Amino acid sequence: MRTKIFLLGASMVIFLSSFVHAQTVKGIVSDENNLVLPGATVLADGGAKGISTDMNGAYSLTLSAGEHTLEFTFIGYQKQSKKVNLAAGQTLELNISMKPDAVFIDDVVVVGYGVQRKKDVTGNIATVDSKALTALPTPSFEAALQGQAAGVQVTQGSGLAGSASTIRVRGTASVSAGGDPLYVVDGIPITQDYFIRGNGGAMNNNPLATLNPNDIESVEILKDASATAIYGSRGANGVILITTKRGAKKKGLTIDFTSRVGISTPATLPNMTNTEEYLQLRQEAWENDGGTGYVWLPNYTTADDDAETRALAYKEAMTRDIDWVDRTIGTGVKQMYSVGIRKGGEKYGLYAGLSYDDNQSYLLGNGYERISGRINFDYTVNKWLKAMVSTSLSRGVNSRIDAAWSGGLGDAMSNALPFYPERYEDAVFDADGNILHPADEYFIWRDEFGGAKNPVGYRESFKSWRNIENRSVNNLRLIMNPVKNLNIVASGGFDWMFLREEIDEEPIPTVRDFSQSFLNVNYILNWNYSLTANYDWDLLEDHKFGFLAGTEFQRSDSYGYSEEVTAEVPTPQRNGNPSQFSFLSYFGRANYTYKDRYLVQATARVDGSSRFGRNNRYGFFPSVSAGWIVSEEDFLKDSKNISFLKVKASWGLTGNANIPDYARFGTYSAADNGILYGNEAILFPLQLANPNLQWETSRVIDASVEMGLWKDRVTFELGVYNKMSNDVLMNVNVSPSTGFTNYWDNVAQILNRGVEFSIKSRNIVGKFEWTTDFNIARNYNELVDIGNYTPDAVSGGTNDSRVIVGKPIGSFYLVEFSHVDQANGLPVYLDLNGNETYDYDNAIRKYVGDGLPDFIGGMTNSFRYKNWDLQALAIFSVGAKIFDSSAKRQLGVVSSWNMRTDKFDRWRQPGDVAEFPILTLDETKYGLDEGFPWWNTSLFVYDASYLRLRNLALGYTFQNLKVKNMTFNNLRLAVNVTNLFTLTNFPGLDPEVARDFENAQDRNLSPNVTYLTPPQERSYNFTLSFAF
Amino acid sequence: MKINYKYLLILACGLMTLSACDKLLEFEPGDVILAEDALKTPEDLQRLLNSNYDVIGNLFDGRVQVLSELLTDNLSFPEDNNDYAAVYGRQTNFFTSTTNGVYSDFYRAIYRCNTVLESFDFIEGLDDAERSRIEAEARFIRALCHWSLVKLYAQPYNNTANNGHLGIVLRLEASQEPLGRNTVGEVYDAVVADLRFAHDNLPIENSFYASRLSAAGYLAHVYFLMNDLPNASLYASEVINSNAFSLDSDLDRYEQDNISTETVFGIVSFSNDFRNDGFSNNYRSDIGTPVLSMSESVFSTFSLNPSDMRNDWIENNNGSYFSTRFNGSNYFNVPLVHLTGLHLLRAEALAAQNIDLDVAVADVNAIRTRAFGEGINQLPMDAAAEVIINAAREEMFKETICEGVWIDYLKRRGTLGEEITIRNAPYDCPGMALQFPNGETSVSGFQLNPEGGCN
Repeated sequence: MRTKIFLLGASMVIFLSSFVHAQTVKGIVSDENNLVLPGATVLADGGAKGISTDMNGAYSLTLSAGEHTLEFTFIGYQKQSKKVNLAAGQTLELNISMKPDAVFIDDVVVVGYGVQRKKDVTGNIATVDSKALTALPTPSFEAALQGQAAGVQVTQGSGLAGSASTIRVRGTASVSAGGDPLYVVDGIPITQDYFIRGNGGAMNNNPLATLNPNDIESVEILKDASATAIYGSRGANGVILITTKRGAKKKGLTIDFTSRVGISTPATLPNMTNTEEYLQLRQEAWENDGGTGYVWLPNYTTADDDAETRALAYKEAMTRDIDWVDRTIGTGVKQMYSVGIRKGGEKYGLYAGLSYDDNQSYLLGNGYERISGRINFDYTVNKWLKAMVSTSLSRGVNSRIDAAWSGGLGDAMSNALPFYPERYEDAVFDADGNILHPADEYFIWRDEFGGAKNPVGYRESFKSWRNIENRSVNNLRLIMNPVKNLNIVASGGFDWMFLREEIDEEPIPTVRDFSQSFLNVNYILNWNYSLTANYDWDLLEDHKFGFLAGTEFQRSDSYGYSEEVTAEVPTPQRNGNPSQFSFLSYFGRANYTYKDRYLVQATARVDGSSRFGRNNRYGFFPSVSAGWIVSEEDFLKDSKNISFLKVKASWGLTGNANIPDYARFGTYSAADNGILYGNEAILFPLQLANPNLQWETSRVIDASVEMGLWKDRVTFELGVYNKMSNDVLMNVNVSPSTGFTNYWDNVAQILNRGVEFSIKSRNIVGKFEWTTDFNIARNYNELVDIGNYTPDAVSGGTNDSRVIVGKPIGSFYLVEFSHVDQANGLPVYLDLNGNETYDYDNAIRKYVGDGLPDFIGGMTNSFRYKNWDLQALAIFSVGAKIFDSSAKRQLGVVSSWNMRTDKFDRWRQPGDVAEFPILTLDETKYGLDEGFPWWNTSLFVYDASYLRLRNLALGYTFQNLKVKNMTFNNLRLAVNVTNLFTLTNFPGLDPEVARDFENAQDRNLSPNVTYLTPPQERSYNFTLSFAF
Repeated sequence: MKINYKYLLILACGLMTLSACDKLLEFEPGDVILAEDALKTPEDLQRLLNSNYDVIGNLFDGRVQVLSELLTDNLSFPEDNNDYAAVYGRQTNFFTSTTNGVYSDFYRAIYRCNTVLESFDFIEGLDDAERSRIEAEARFIRALCHWSLVKLYAQPYNNTANNGHLGIVLRLEASQEPLGRNTVGEVYDAVVADLRFAHDNLPIENSFYASRLSAAGYLAHVYFLMNDLPNASLYASEVINSNAFSLDSDLDRYEQDNISTETVFGIVSFSNDFRNDGFSNNYRSDIGTPVLSMSESVFSTFSLNPSDMRNDWIENNNGSYFSTRFNGSNYFNVPLVHLTGLHLLRAEALAAQNIDLDVAVADVNAIRTRAFGEGINQLPMDAAAEVIINAAREEMFKETICEGVWIDYLKRRGTLGEEITIRNAPYDCPGMALQFPNGETSVSGFQLNPEGGCN
């Protein structure tokens, strides 16, 4: 829920003295969740007497004997009337449970640069309240948006602590420019770079991880152009407005406390083969290839070794069986403590929050610890001036481990063969009797790239790694009200982000006999100033106008330096020049309401950005929208069934400018670049200029209908949209014969078109309550045009996702696998004409599926009986494909990778119908090039549809629990389980995957590609919360 | 008073809106020079020219030579390097990053050369002599790059009657326009034109940078591969007869700190700037097991004659054969055109024309004297042309082992009608031409090489 504005806080106590015997009605007013409601208004007999509930939700009214009518009201809840008949001297206890009003007339939503009555909004905005954000433990707050809003696709990050989710609002509309929505915290567009630290250790930096979910009052997701065009050049991928908690005026002191403890386990486990299984499969491959005797074993023998040596190694290997997966995972412990203080006086409001969150993942050695504090202070200086200060400071410490392709569990799922020992059991000597490996030394093996491996050794001894993130988001806002209905808001914001990565590496036997350490520091300073003026003008009774005009300037400076200290070559710290960008903007909005039912809005923004050259420096982003509240019309006003009906439509342009700061410049190396040839200095071009680089622009049309039925017992919203993005920015691979390999240009055209539906239904009311929130969205995504370029013009990192005209962004571009030849067990592919071939050839790659779902959605069912409550959040995704990119090695050519037990279903003799071809150690048998076992075929493209029980929570609430002298309000105990089960046909690990990405382009192009990605966690938690 | 504050504050806010201007949006990258400011003075241009030597220094530090050598049967299968295995197996595809990197680097230099050639009008204070030298050096490097590319990525010259078979993209302008492949004939014409310009305009002396004789040395090699033997021997003779160079007495042309006396053109290394990693990282056998080992046939060839002092170049290490040519030094200079090669080239060119056989014999014998000792294994002065050719080839094979030259000689012989098979595949099977990088196909219309067909 949004900020509760306790408008009716003033008391209206009328003193009556004519009665000798006092009759009293008293009780507690609470909400649908049995949480007490302070500040609710209780009026007797149409206002003859009245009072507000106190901090405990309690009220007490003294009335004359006889019949009275009591009215209970509270913002956002339906009014309740109760008739009472008081006998002389009677004290009646009357507790009231308020029912929420789904479409409350004065309910407000946060919009760009202001708030609007929800009723008057003509744009498409989804709101998620604080309760949903804190209901379940997530690696980072944005993951909790999953399943809450139609058309907002949240793909939760991996099992790594602090990992980032990817959020796509109404599909992907960008290729190389960042495709994430713009995040705005209390009016400040915050720094949101996921690639500050690249893809180190197979994890991207998560700029949102330091935000404390307990400080957030509400999150608004702006979806259509009418809502986002006010953010102009940065609105094309949606805008997420985060509003933090504030103290309300004239309230006493309340303290909220929440603590949660839990454990983390993997939601699913890989099914790697054990020694016996692996060796059996490997031996079979060897024999299929014509080998005799025992097969050679990686890191022990080679194919050229004699039979005796091979046999010895094989037999020795059979004596060990190490479950490497088990040695990289465990049970992570989670604990979170949060306290929030709110206090409101005559002139001020204060919110102060402090929280500590230690979020260990199930990956051994991995955890994210965050401590954060916030103070939001509002002070009314005088009649025309109010000051609002928001400041937060948080520190996140991520204890890192390598994952996926970089090590840890990734090793356990790939190069860690089950017969490799963790340590040498006995000392090993060379022929001369010199000790090579003492007993207990970690066994180090080499992967196929020569990398030294042993995930246990790295975790326990060789490498310690932590990322420290300090962040402070600050804002001072002055609100001036010089004349009636005119508000001028001046705001200055400063967002400071500091990242420090510390890696210490100890000697590794046989690899390195010295220690080394690396330090990487980045800090980003982000300033924001804005000035807005808005004026409400009620011309006549039926004509209401609202005007907003504003200007905004934002500047960001990113600094970074690295320091490497090794025993051999110490390098000094070097401070580079900052990378800078700025935006200068002017914007306006006009609203007109006629008879409270006909709504028109127009917005416009002019944005200038340092990222674009003078030719295209400024962009213009207008929008118009209109709404009609049909239910206010006479013919519907008295309808028994339809309590609310509104139709609205909008058109607008939005942009995306999320590209590297200096992409437009042609540059040469610095004069003192330090590179010499023949001891003479050199100068060389680095990047080609593109002075015509410009915004990508999305043209969005949106129409929707909102409806409430049966006194809003059921409310729903149905919307359709069409979003055509033009001049989409691509960092295209240019012909290397030009002397360059990449070039930023406005190239593509992308269509996103969709339907969104959400419904909220109070199925059962009364003592037993059952409420259902359901949303579903379909998005159709198509790359309409990429000029003269081919699918290979851009690609998603190391993934095999490409841009194919007529297909969705990020299509899998692979060789199509047809079947296993029953006669000889060989894989059969289909060429571009659909003809069968044994030849695996990159020239026959084609579209074989994509990672974009046909439908996504979520459903929350809430049940309540007396003090008990039960909540179940399920999310689903239908129709997306997943490319299990690591399966091509786990289930492909037998190699130095461990295999999955799925591999048992392989061809063994003529006539066999098998999923996998004949086992072989020779990649050429599968038609691959020698030395290139990367079998990128559609065999590993699977249906990734799933239904996941994201959260199941059971709670019990004590109202006004008294323990000795203390009164605890709304003390709630709850247990919850996340990811309890997932229904899917995907045979791999986790059908919901946001892997580590190489860059923003990869993040756009490679949804649903998994490569040894740690699965999400399943956590079991116990929560205690109360207020006093 | 109150009113004053009020309007003062609002006025201040109002001023904020006016202070905005375009300057707020001007950020230029630090640590770099903007392209429009980069080339102003003769020094700037000289530095840009020097960056081309930097590029070819990183290409010919062994990287390119290794790729050429992998196509011969001089090496054993490179088990530990997938990309080398692909080259060796004649199975490169457009994802083979090593070959893609080499390709891109050559064109990086070509772009820079073209930029040099198009920048003269913007440079103040450049005298005509300097302009002429810089122009000639840029065209020299452009020719070297185009020629290296066409040898690696296309079938050899003379493989079709009119050389109309597809070569590589010829880039004679610093343009971003996607271009298709030119024919091998067109590429060679451009290479010869550039080298002849360089030859006519380069100074006689130019430190370790390209000189008139460097261009002559390359012209000899280019004409030789075109089987234009009169020109090949003419330019070889120009270098040999200049007496500017002399055969290195100790067989080792890969010298540290000194440039071998027989280096006509080469890459230079310094203790602070190694330009030999492509050799050292792949072949050095004195600091561990090298990535590349020699084939058994190479070892046999070298050990045929016990008095051949070059036998030490290949060592037998428990049945693996390692090159020792690059052992011992962390850095060394890399000769690309050397007197040894030109003597042997001229010997074959003259013998094939059946002229000046005495000169040809002397060329071969000069090399043999150094390899075997005075008077040992010498060709008789009346040796027949065919004998001279065979001897010249035999010495060329040995002298240039690991230098990445031999494959060009094999292919040339193939185009002359000799039956040349390399590891059981014809010299011109499709995979002998490396595949172009994926990036070339990012624009439709580029014609890739056919793949495979060699195994």
